[in-house]
Amino acid sequence: MTNTRIPAVRPAPAAARTAVAPARRGGRERGTRLLASLFLAPTIVGIVVFTVVPIAGSVVLSLFHWNVIDDPRWSGLANYRETFGDSTVLVSFRNTLVFMVLAVALQLLIALALALAVNGRMPVWLRSVFRSAFFFPLVLSAASVSVVMKYLFNQDFGVVNWLLGLVGISPVPWLTSEHGAMATVVLVYVWQQFGFSFLLFVGGLNNIPKEVHEAASLDGATGLRKHLHVTLPLLSPTLLVASVVGVINALQVFEQPYVLTDGGPGDSTRTVVMVIYETAFEQLRFGTASAVGVLLFVLIMAVTALQFRLSRRFVHYQ
Amino acid sequence: MSQATLTSRRVRYSLAPWARAAVLAVCALLTLGPVVWTVSTSLRTPAESFDLPPTIVPAHPTTEAYRGVIDQIDVWLLALNSTLVTALIAVGQMITAGLAGYAFARLEFRFKKPLFGLVLATMMVPLQVTIVPVFLVLKSMGLTDTLLGLIVPAFPTAFGTFLMRQYFLGMPRDLGEAAMLDGAGPWRIFRSVYAPLAAPGLAIVGVLAFNYHWNEFFRPLILETSGQNYTLPLGLVSLQGNLGTGSVSVVLAGVVLSMLPAVAVFVVGQRPLREGITSAGVNR
Amino acid sequence: MTDSHLTRRALLRYGAYGAGAAALTGTAACWDRLTGADIPGRDDGSLVVATLGSAFDPAAVRALQEGFRRVHPDIGLRVNAVQAVDWSDFFAKILTQIAAGTAPDLVYVATEGVQLFAGQLGVPLDRWVRRDAAELREYFADVHPALVESMMYEGSLHQLPVEFNAADIYLNKQVLARAGTSLPPADWTRDDFTALLRRMKRSSDSHFTPYFWTNRLWGGVVPWLFANGTNLLAESKAPGGDWLWDTFYPAAERRGRGGGFRWTTPQATDDRVAEAYDYLASLIRDDLCTRPEGGNGSNLVGVFSTGRVGVTPAGGFWAGGLHLAGMKPADYDVQYFPRWRTQRMQFGAAGYAMLRTSTKQDQAWEFIKYAARKDTLTRLFRANQTTPARRSMLTADRYRESGPAHWQVFYDTLDRFPDTGPIPAPPQVAEVEQVLLKHTGTALASSGAVRPALRRMQDDLETAMERDA
Repeated sequence: MTNTRIPAVRPAPAAARTAVAPARRGGRERGTRLLASLFLAPTIVGIVVFTVVPIAGSVVLSLFHWNVIDDPRWSGLANYRETFGDSTVLVSFRNTLVFMVLAVALQLLIALALALAVNGRMPVWLRSVFRSAFFFPLVLSAASVSVVMKYLFNQDFGVVNWLLGLVGISPVPWLTSEHGAMATVVLVYVWQQFGFSFLLFVGGLNNIPKEVHEAASLDGATGLRKHLHVTLPLLSPTLLVASVVGVINALQVFEQPYVLTDGGPGDSTRTVVMVIYETAFEQLRFGTASAVGVLLFVLIMAVTALQFRLSRRFVHYQ
Repeated sequence: MSQATLTSRRVRYSLAPWARAAVLAVCALLTLGPVVWTVSTSLRTPAESFDLPPTIVPAHPTTEAYRGVIDQIDVWLLALNSTLVTALIAVGQMITAGLAGYAFARLEFRFKKPLFGLVLATMMVPLQVTIVPVFLVLKSMGLTDTLLGLIVPAFPTAFGTFLMRQYFLGMPRDLGEAAMLDGAGPWRIFRSVYAPLAAPGLAIVGVLAFNYHWNEFFRPLILETSGQNYTLPLGLVSLQGNLGTGSVSVVLAGVVLSMLPAVAVFVVGQRPLREGITSAGVNR
Repeated sequence: MTDSHLTRRALLRYGAYGAGAAALTGTAACWDRLTGADIPGRDDGSLVVATLGSAFDPAAVRALQEGFRRVHPDIGLRVNAVQAVDWSDFFAKILTQIAAGTAPDLVYVATEGVQLFAGQLGVPLDRWVRRDAAELREYFADVHPALVESMMYEGSLHQLPVEFNAADIYLNKQVLARAGTSLPPADWTRDDFTALLRRMKRSSDSHFTPYFWTNRLWGGVVPWLFANGTNLLAESKAPGGDWLWDTFYPAAERRGRGGGFRWTTPQATDDRVAEAYDYLASLIRDDLCTRPEGGNGSNLVGVFSTGRVGVTPAGGFWAGGLHLAGMKPADYDVQYFPRWRTQRMQFGAAGYAMLRTSTKQDQAWEFIKYAARKDTLTRLFRANQTTPARRSMLTADRYRESGPAHWQVFYDTLDRFPDTGPIPAPPQVAEVEQVLLKHTGTALASSGAVRPALRRMQDDLETAMERDA
């Protein structure tokens, strides 16, 4: 680490700066940098060893055919070519994007509506009851939740279809039809995740000064209109964070479709991460799996970058 | 705007709290319903487990299913493992995130922006993509099939670092500047000015880490091979039985048991957890 | 205000110190737990055996270990009960261990993985079987040749089967009574089967589905393919294996046996395959059968034991499951899979495979022999969580408290129908299974979907089979 080197091997410009600046300030700067590197070391070293190196490893692996048992064989870009020619992989990318759009939209919408509702006038205890309730699924494990939901969404014996039957809706093939399966995976995911966005929004709303609302009300803005023109713009930084985190998580969805549908029927709920898992650990094609992984990583980066780009137009900072 | 429309609008708006509370109550029911069903089914006999309408209060409550869990898996060992793993990860993350968050918030150094970007970018890396190389790295450290192999790689935390950075940024700058004028060095400023104020923020990181890693499934599934090293979520899998012959009640009893500590943390740590998530969305 | 602030601060500080100290002591005290050093038999040269966790409970594993210690006090043994949802999950984990160079010596492998292990990772047992032939005579006399043949690969024996499960038909007797009928005869046909489902449907309410099945390689579509005299992949037998048949089996029993199965050309678009799918689709259309659900974790036992389902295919392992679910032997019974063009039935078996990388192969062989002994299996399978491979273990006594009246069906599926065969599991089994499940789901998800789905299944199977696993 450059900061801990002795002055003699320091690069010239830095040495010059030190010379010009008052001695004490130079010492402080050096101290600051030393402290910074000490403080960052655990995190950065950890990230390098357990994320950067493995990613590099994945990229390298994606250029090989490797079945774990025999030695890896160089294959150049064959894994990528194979990936683009494999309908299952392509479908999984489409599914993942569809899932992301549906899940994030629904999650943000529900969370925002509930956050606004909870933010309204009501007894303190009631508000805290609601807040706790909406937030509760978040502490459960996705795998357990999916196991439970599989029982509830069963077409013939599940509680969900029984409830729908009470209001005269005939049994929905939740897990056994293509659209039903995607809907179930989205619903189960959103059920567990919306509490996260909900809390973000509650925090964001608390941060909006009361005067703004009062001023808006005086101008005659009420209800939906007030929210659209006053609250939303002020909440836009929070919306950005919620959607960025939401998108990153949604693109990595695994447990829910894995337990609920195993990707089916057909490929209708097979997500990219499921394909990575199956290709690597079930079919022993670690090279191909790595190639898909690298593509997913690129996709996540691209979508996130796009969000930040768009945010320049839509996000208003106070 | 005429007086009449103004009144009508006000009336409509003042009616809202009613409807609002009702809608919220329905949503809360939908949110908690599956949890209630899980607990109640775990207390029913297997024969009643699929009753429709579901009997929320079991006609013949029985803890048989819980005994089944204890018979079929070594709950205490698994709970010890889960506790060790989660607690140490939580402590470790509090240390790494506290230090790194402070550095990013309050110290000046080269490559600050790209380094922070690097930390945040790790959030975008799916676990499944890197698990094989991580496995190989752990092997070179002799940590495969140990609890440490689960713990150590989880020390760096992107979200935690981000949270702590936000947290330190939210503290008044004057405090540090005053101390600096008094001649305090960067370490002293951290140690005696900012660090003592960071406890609530660290609690948030700790609770978040606990919540996430207590429920973690994929890493233990791949990394731990000896039965003695399993965490609770892994142990629960075997309750589903050979080719899915396990009893529903027992499976759900397992779910409830593993849920308990998370619920305890939820009750005790709800505030920090809520604040943690909330603060992430507040732009400073 | 200031005061309380200070106290709180001090409190926080001491709290932090306390927590830190506790964490340190805790870590130190549990260091062996954290590094796994407290696990007996770890890194000390013990024989390592990996088993599927959900098949053996902790008590069974302990019994296995203690029994082996009594027989071979000189061989250290460590049993890893690997936790996994199903076989593909289990193999994934074993392969990860092999990738990391921490491979076990023996792995419990079911039919699904026999050829995968045999082809790439395993050691043939021929050498030891020949050497200890005298000792093994009693074992082979007790085990049906079909089970042994399913463990052969290209003329060599790779495992001694210890358990198996055929796809027989379980019937809920309460539902049968409601429908005013009784257990069907052993030679019932597919049409009898359909008629039974219709009767059951007529006599029940809307929360009832006569036939329930899960979408998987074992016990899903494949039994219907077998009954219709076809298979997913063209099936043939490898030459060889005479060395074993001639040594252990009388002429009548060894007729037609070979050196193990070969599953090669995909034939998903075969007319008979389409016919089987059409049949299942028609059952679904008439509400006689559930659509196949994907995903792991199953509520089959639950819905069957509570009378929401009348009929389902399962093997001897279900007797244990239904017992746990509170069903009495009088509540259900079991019959062979119905006849269609044939009455060939399907099974899956399991045993221990020895890994090529093992440096303790002679000790590993001792364990394999130990694990196939009758007393070992009796201790292990006490709960009827599977069907023992040894015929002599299927007794009235075993099934008195947790078994159907016609428990003989379990083993007679082999004895009365000697052509009953294993599920198609070539070395590329993981991909084959995934392709099968995926397109079966689509084929039966909507009407008119069967043929397009089978065409895509054929394409995908061809791609999968071209890959050298």
